[in-house]
Amino acid sequence: MKKHMRNTSIAVGLAAGLTAIGGAAAAQDCTTKIGAVLPTSVDWGKPIAATAQYVVEQVNAAGGVAGCEIEMVLRDSQVDPKVGVDAAKALVDLDGVQVLLGAVSSGVSMPILTSVTAPAGVMQMSCCSSSTAFTGLAEEGKTKGLWFRTFATTGVQSAVAAMVAKDKGYKSIAILYKNDDWGQDIGKLAAADFAAVGVEVTGSVALNDGQASYRAEVTEALKGQPEAIYLALYPKEGTAAVREWISLGGTQNMIVANSLKSDEFRENVGLQYLGNTTGTDTASPRSASATRFVDQYTEHFGSAPSGPGLSNSYDATMIALLAMEAAGKDSSGEEIAAMVGKVTDPAGTPVSADAEGFAAAKEILAGGGSVFYQGATGNVRFDANGDVSAPAVTWGFSEGGIEELQYISLDEVDSFMGSLN
Amino acid sequence: MIGVISYLVFFSTVAAILAIAVLGLNLQWGNTGLFNGGVVAFFGAGAYATLIFGGTPQEGQLGGFALPYPLALLGGMFVAGVMAWIVGILTLRLRHDYLAIATFGVAVAFENLMRNAEALAGGAQGLRGFERPLFDALGGGLAYNSLFLICVLVLLLAVYVFLERLIRSPFGRLLRAIREDETAARSLGKNPARIRLTSFITGSVIMGMSGGLYGTFYAFISPQDVLPILTFQIWAMLIVGGAGNNRGAVAGAFLIWGAWTASGWALSRFAPQEVQLYTGSVQFILIGFVIVGMLLWRPQGLFEEKLVVSQQGRTATKELQGDRR
Repeated sequence: MKKHMRNTSIAVGLAAGLTAIGGAAAAQDCTTKIGAVLPTSVDWGKPIAATAQYVVEQVNAAGGVAGCEIEMVLRDSQVDPKVGVDAAKALVDLDGVQVLLGAVSSGVSMPILTSVTAPAGVMQMSCCSSSTAFTGLAEEGKTKGLWFRTFATTGVQSAVAAMVAKDKGYKSIAILYKNDDWGQDIGKLAAADFAAVGVEVTGSVALNDGQASYRAEVTEALKGQPEAIYLALYPKEGTAAVREWISLGGTQNMIVANSLKSDEFRENVGLQYLGNTTGTDTASPRSASATRFVDQYTEHFGSAPSGPGLSNSYDATMIALLAMEAAGKDSSGEEIAAMVGKVTDPAGTPVSADAEGFAAAKEILAGGGSVFYQGATGNVRFDANGDVSAPAVTWGFSEGGIEELQYISLDEVDSFMGSLN
Repeated sequence: MIGVISYLVFFSTVAAILAIAVLGLNLQWGNTGLFNGGVVAFFGAGAYATLIFGGTPQEGQLGGFALPYPLALLGGMFVAGVMAWIVGILTLRLRHDYLAIATFGVAVAFENLMRNAEALAGGAQGLRGFERPLFDALGGGLAYNSLFLICVLVLLLAVYVFLERLIRSPFGRLLRAIREDETAARSLGKNPARIRLTSFITGSVIMGMSGGLYGTFYAFISPQDVLPILTFQIWAMLIVGGAGNNRGAVAGAFLIWGAWTASGWALSRFAPQEVQLYTGSVQFILIGFVIVGMLLWRPQGLFEEKLVVSQQGRTATKELQGDRR
């Protein structure tokens, strides 16, 4: 009650705003807060936060969660762990949120998890943190089942890269990776996966951002005379490194991560060198709701979703809200976290990723059924550690841009990943 | 209500940890005039070393010695001190801006080393695996945080008392003598190089303690925690609080950290929904205003340095200056 009184002014403002939009949702007489700690002061962080807000708008338009309007309190993490943790603590203690979305960087998400959400029993759902350290923490039981993330690319992508190398019959491969937590992770995972399918890894070299030349690194990678090369780089360093690689006589048999799925990279390197390049990515799923996501995003924001983490952010927010709906009004973070399985249940009724989907899910959940959320990143399914698997695609560069080569379904990905262990 | 208390305990813990680092910087800059632009390196050395000494074994990583907490913290301070000793010997002959640039370079190198040295520091993923003592016994919530806050406050007080006594001692006067006029100090038979090094190491050990507390509070440290922004934050705290005054250093830490966090909180609460996306950027502007405003209206900081100069001493200084002209 106290919580509601304190926020009367905001609730009134919100209600007024919504009435202005003309939504029927303004009828609710209660507000449930969720928290979000995202790097809104960083250019690529803003769209991630905007996507989360958009989901909240859709859900409110569908009547809110458990009869209550959702208010997302958004705090900037400034990509500074201290600031992000403080913001999360304020959201949990002062606003009483039971669900926290965020953060983006693993270095911010991790201290939030260890010192705020896990001790307080609040569910934390990150769109974009990729570090494998979370899996380790979960295996030790320290996340208490409160941690989830919708970012699947690292493990899935490295496995698919190994699948490609095996199918193409490469005997040896060198790895170039970006020197950050994502790059170090995927570099390590890819090395293990290549070894598991019998492809020899001749060298694994880290590239720092913003260097004028990568000659030393490229020479290092060339030493083992690999038959192919695997690139886990971003377009800028990727372009520079590949130019040097080819000019020094390196192979054009390339396998690249989704970070290089960019026209910029294709144009700056030159298509004549990229004919034998195979890319990997987690798939745009083959469900109607996925194309719906792209359509409705384009309609809402006036441009197609491009940029890291947008579909992940959409799914993170939607799944969190679905779980809140399933858990019912005034549930604790633990109760909500326990419901995540029920809304991503492969045996459940499929629902789409939009306002209608949410409304449909509400009815099914009210009737005691379970729901299979068809998300913007695919049929999201969490394992015991809060990690997701996803379907995958391979793609290549062509005259027209980027073309899909092969679709690998979730089951195929899962069974292949299982065979690697 | 319990939520407010819980948050304030959390906030005070972080502010008090930062205050310890500001005190360390105050000894170096406020009292000795050493422009340390690499605060974060010594803070980070303390944090990483404490976690390595006190943590549980992690796969493929150095450390996991699981030493008792006080020993681990002392180890962290020791490592910060050793690093300061090496850096000090190499750089302390440099003056002012040169020293600032050299130490800034050390801090950037430190961050890069931590980002790349996976076996030593966990690489970009950071270092975890520290078991917080009594964390599970106390349920990890408010009770644990309160206990931790008490420990931090005790250490803050200890550092404060230590520094207050130090700067009032003959050694403290010597530090200020070197700050004001190194040649004069040398003419009195003092060895400024050694005194500067002593002050630099002492200040860095204090920063190392602050870092050790920080790392163990979160039970996690990553290269993201040791970016140059932290050096800037600690400097802002000292400048706003008042360089040369320990009370000012502590007040500055609480004030700047308070402004930093409260601006974010206030914006999230009072800014209209449509502009919520931009509050992150607005917050930076607000923080900048506080710092610039302080510099404009109160450049000496909240608490001025109290200069204790005897009458004869003042005459002597004047004569010296006269001679130089």
